[in-house]
Parts: sequence; C-alpha cells; structure tokens
Amino acid sequence: MSAIHQFLPTFAARDAIGNHALHVRQVLRGMGLESEIYAEGIPRPGRRDAHPYRSFGRKPAPGRTWLLYQLSTGSAVADFVRARPEPKLVNYHNITTASLFAPWEPHVAVECREGRRQLREMAGEVELGVAVSVFNEAELREAGYRDTAVAPVLVDLDGADVDADPEVSARLERGKRAGGTDWLFVSRVAPHKCQHDVVRALAAHRRLYDPHARLHLVGAAGSGAYVSMLERYVAALGLGGAVTLTGSVSAAALKSYYRAADVFVCLSEHEGFCVPVVEAMRLSVPVVAFASTALPETVAGAGVLLEAKDPLTVAAAVARVSTDDPLRAQLVAAGLRRAADFSLERSTRRFTEVIARFLADQGAP
Amino acid sequence: MTDVIDHRRLLEEIDAEVRRRRESGDLPADFERELDLAFARFAPVHAIGDDFDQVVERAEQSAFVDVLAPTQSAQPLVGHVKRIIRKAIIWEVRYVAQQVGGFSVAITRAVRLLGRRVDALEEVAPPPARLRAAGATTASLDAGRWGPTVVAALEGVTGRVLHTECGDGALVALLAGAGFDAYGADPVEQAAPAGVEVRTDEALDHLNALPDGALGALVLSGCVERLPAGALTRMAVVAGAKVAEGGVVVVLSADPRGWERGRSPVDADLASGRPLRAETWAHLLDAQQFRSEVAAEFAVPDGETLQAVPGADPVLAANFALLNQLLFPPASYAVVASRR
Repeated sequence: MSAIHQFLPTFAARDAIGNHALHVRQVLRGMGLESEIYAEGIPRPGRRDAHPYRSFGRKPAPGRTWLLYQLSTGSAVADFVRARPEPKLVNYHNITTASLFAPWEPHVAVECREGRRQLREMAGEVELGVAVSVFNEAELREAGYRDTAVAPVLVDLDGADVDADPEVSARLERGKRAGGTDWLFVSRVAPHKCQHDVVRALAAHRRLYDPHARLHLVGAAGSGAYVSMLERYVAALGLGGAVTLTGSVSAAALKSYYRAADVFVCLSEHEGFCVPVVEAMRLSVPVVAFASTALPETVAGAGVLLEAKDPLTVAAAVARVSTDDPLRAQLVAAGLRRAADFSLERSTRRFTEVIARFLADQGAP
Repeated sequence: MTDVIDHRRLLEEIDAEVRRRRESGDLPADFERELDLAFARFAPVHAIGDDFDQVVERAEQSAFVDVLAPTQSAQPLVGHVKRIIRKAIIWEVRYVAQQVGGFSVAITRAVRLLGRRVDALEEVAPPPARLRAAGATTASLDAGRWGPTVVAALEGVTGRVLHTECGDGALVALLAGAGFDAYGADPVEQAAPAGVEVRTDEALDHLNALPDGALGALVLSGCVERLPAGALTRMAVVAGAKVAEGGVVVVLSADPRGWERGRSPVDADLASGRPLRAETWAHLLDAQQFRSEVAAEFAVPDGETLQAVPGADPVLAANFALLNQLLFPPASYAVVASRR
C-alpha cells in the first residue's frame, strides 16, 4: 500500500495548519493511501492525532512512500525530512518576513530566516510544491521549485457542529445595547498582524464617526512582547473600555464574535492566505483589509481592499461600510460567494486532484 | 441595486472623504503624530525608528531590572510554587540585578555623553540633513509658478502626496485644491493656510519614518538645492522605496549654474551642498525604477540677459543668442519621474 505521511514543526489541533493537516490526512486516507501526522511540538489536545517526528522509523519506509512537509517556519523537522531517502512534497503556507518579528521576538525571527533557508534548499529535493495561494506559489517558483500547484487551505467554514457560545453572545449583545459598531479581527496577536494599526484606526474612527465603536481582537498571543505593548498602547490611548484582547477562544466563542461583528478589519503586513478573512465572509461579516501579500487574492473583490492603512483611511472605510446599507449588502453577498470558493468540499476536490495527478505522474497505483 | 461593486469608485469616494475630513480640521493635525509617539513609548527599540534621544531614553528605561518576576498562574498550585521559588532565590537575583543595572546605567550614561559631544561637533559642522539655506524663498516654493507643472505631473495619482520643504504650504494648498490628498513637511515651523497639513520635519527624517510604498507622489524642493551629493543620492533611494507603484516623484530645483550665478564666489564655494543638474536627477531616479523626464525649465528673465542691438547683423544676433545660452542657462527646472 502506498503512503503519504505528513510532517509539521508543530501540530496544534486548533490552528489553521493543524486543522489543514487533519483534513489532508482524511483526504489521503480516502484516496486509499496510508497517512499519519508527525510533528516536533504536539500540544496535549493533538496527541492522539500526531506522533513525535523522531518516532518515524530510521529505515526507509516500506512500499511507495512520500513525505509531505507542511512548511510555515524554520524547524528541525525540515532537516529531518530532508535527510530521509523517501521522495518529498512540500505544502507551503508561507513564512513571515523575519524583519517583521526581529524587534519583538528575535528568536522567532531566527526561525523565520531558517525557514526561508530551508524553503530554498528543499527546492531541488522536492517532487512537488503545493501552495495554498497563487501568492505562495510565486514564492515557491522564485525559490526554485519547478513543479508547483495551488490548492487552498482545507478548512471547514461551515463549522456545522458548532453553535455560538450563548454566554459570549449575551455579553456581546449587552455591549451592543450601548450603541456603536463592533470591529473584529481574528488572528494570532503578533507584530506582522499589526493589531496596533487596527487600534489606531479605531481611535480615529471613534473620534470622527462613532464614539461608541468597539474592537475585539480575537486570537492567542503570538508574541508576548507585542501583546504587552498592545495592552499598554490601548491604555495610553484611553481605549481600555473599547478594545478587548480575548486571547485564544473556543470555536463556539469565535462564532459568537463573528455573529456580533459589524465589520472585519485586517491590516496585516503579511498573510500567506488568511483563513479568518474567509471565515468572516462565510458568516456575512463585511471585510475591510489592507492590500498586502496574499490578501488581494483571498479577498478577490469581495471586500474593501485599501492601498493605505493610515488611521483616517481605515476609519473612513469602516464608516462607509457601516452606514451604507446597499454597499454592505453587496459586500455580504460577494463575501458569501467568495467564501463558497473555499468551501471544504471544493478545496478538498482541488487538493485531491493535485495529489491524484502527482501520483499518476509518479506511476503510483 | 447591482451585484457588482465598483471598487475603483468606492476607493475614490473613501479618498475624497479622507481629504474632506483632513481639510475640515475635524481631526487635529498632530493626531497621527500623537498615535506614533504613544506607539514609540511602548514598542521595542528596533521598531521606533532612528530618533537618538528616544532610543537612549528607552535604553535608560530598560536599564531598570525588575527582580520581582510575575507569579500569577491560572493554576493556583503553580502560582504558589512560583512564589516559593521567587522568595528562595530573590537574594541572588537582586545581587545579579544590581550589577546588570549598574552596567546598563553606566553604558547609557556614556552614550548620553557621547551624544553631547556629537551635538557639539554638529554645532561646528552641521550635518547635511540639518542645514537650512538662508533665504528659503527659492523658485521651488513659488506655488504659482510651479503649480500647473506639478498638477499635470500628478494626474491619475492616488494616495497621499508629500511636498518636502513646502515652506508656507502654498503648493500643498494648491494640490489639495486640485483634489490630491496632499500634505507637507518643512524643517522650519511656520503658519500654513487653513486646512493644510504641514508637519515640522526634515525631508529625509520624515521620509525614513514612512512605511515603504506609503506615498502616491513625492514633491521634492528646497532640500534638493542645499544638501551634498551623498544626501541627494540617498534621497533618490528613499524616494524609490516610499513611493508606491504607479506613483510619481517631482523634483523642483534651481539649476546649479543659475544657482551659482546668484551667489558670491565665497558663498558658492563654501556652501555645504549645491543643486544637481536635471540630467543627474533623472539618472538617480531612473536607477530606482523610475522613468524620468525634464518637464519644465524656467529661463533667466530677458532683462537679465545680453540684448542684441535692434537691426543688428544676423550673425551678431546669433552670437548674442549663443552667448546668452552659455552665460545664462535655465534658472530652475522640474524633473518628473514616474514609477515603472
């Protein structure tokens, strides 16, 4: 029996890449392949789904086996995979530009640089590079990958089994009674996600348009130094009562935040795809985003894409989206159509096609 | 209601709203600056730019070593264990912290002293970026003269337009009136027309502080006539980074030959910098992925040139014209560079 095993630096069942890896495993098994997940870091909730990467046998795996490396940062796992005799594939999620992290978390910047090095060095050793966006595919090409394909992140946008958290929804509803729009941004709180720019825009928006506007920054801390700065920045601007940093939340609570949001504001400097933007569109939240890296491709005209992110421009864009009902309806409709492009069903079909074609080229049964 | 969103029009309307709000003064002119300063207070030293005093101040703040590590934890037992460990080793942590703190204070003090020496040196030999030519009324600040050229050059530009060394902001006001989201920067604080945003800042300092691709267009004047060649070369590189794709750089400058003619030999020889020729700007900007052309040249007024005797021999008249060309090259020029 043929096998494609996945390797990741960290397997966190709740993050986008961890979820993607689980869906990929399901797809591969559905194609009649053996498939397991191996990782270096495996936080507790993921331990029944993944194995420590060093437990992968020292000898070449029996039968026809390929190793699929989920590349998103620098890791010892990449060097382990490179040293293996089995043919390899890379699934590329992009690597944050090191300079965006360097002032805040130098060790993360080192990992990012290491990731870029591994990306380049693996180019000649990999049979196929699968990118989650055209933007990422261009980076693979630039790094020297000859055979590439695009297949979006596998994510269950419908979250059919998850209802909104009634407690969180009730709290958000109470906030709404005081009036004012609810801004939402969902992501790890990290320098390249630029939550501080969203805070700046909120400050301008409250001053000019809506003194009761609130901002919910949902996501786990990706940088302790940045989170600490952000909290102090919010306090210094007198926005303590208007900005909430929720930290990591459950899927149910996340749904509550999406349901309560009037607008999703993403001002990231670096995104390889940006799943939360698609989630927002799927849940009928209009998107205002800064046109950086892969965001123009992900948004694809279904949101307001800004070329500048100075506070006044963002504030004006949000005010427009909040008050112009026909525009809002158009954005919601366009968002739903765009989100449908990334439904789990479609993305799974695309991923399956890519892998099936690859296996056929390799002469696998 | 149509299903298709006219994004171009929507962004233009948002831009227009931003301009209207800026002109109305609803948002204080220094609002964004205040946000920047608040950010700089808390961001790591590498993320706050190159301001020497701000960086040293941060180093001084960081010299304080807090020996009381946080002990909070979601799990009560872990918090308790942390408190016990902290109590057990605090004497050692204090001992080490005293030495680290003493070293840091000594270093930051040394840097402060060094900074003062550099300040003293700069009093004697000012660095190019701080030089301000006497009599700032150069041709480049004459909004009436240069306005039409600049407005024509900026046609189709979107995003913010910066005019460096904008003086009293007359050209900025003219650009804003023509529908551009324009603001100015000038090292000398002076009253600007109502609703015109002018920041007190050196051209290079201001440009360096902007994110890459932040500008739709950049109009350079004033500084381009008094900075040395090295600083102007740097200016071209920075312009290349800060102007977005599809953007425009306009250089308004005196011609070096005309500039020299208007000064005493001593002033001209001892000036720290001098303007470049239009061709040199074109060369510098083309190296930064621009396509440049000389858009306008202003000649020396007729009254200041050699006049041919009425009815003179055509050969004599031609020689006069040639002499005028050699003796009185254009007084000033505009180079327009579009991003390729």
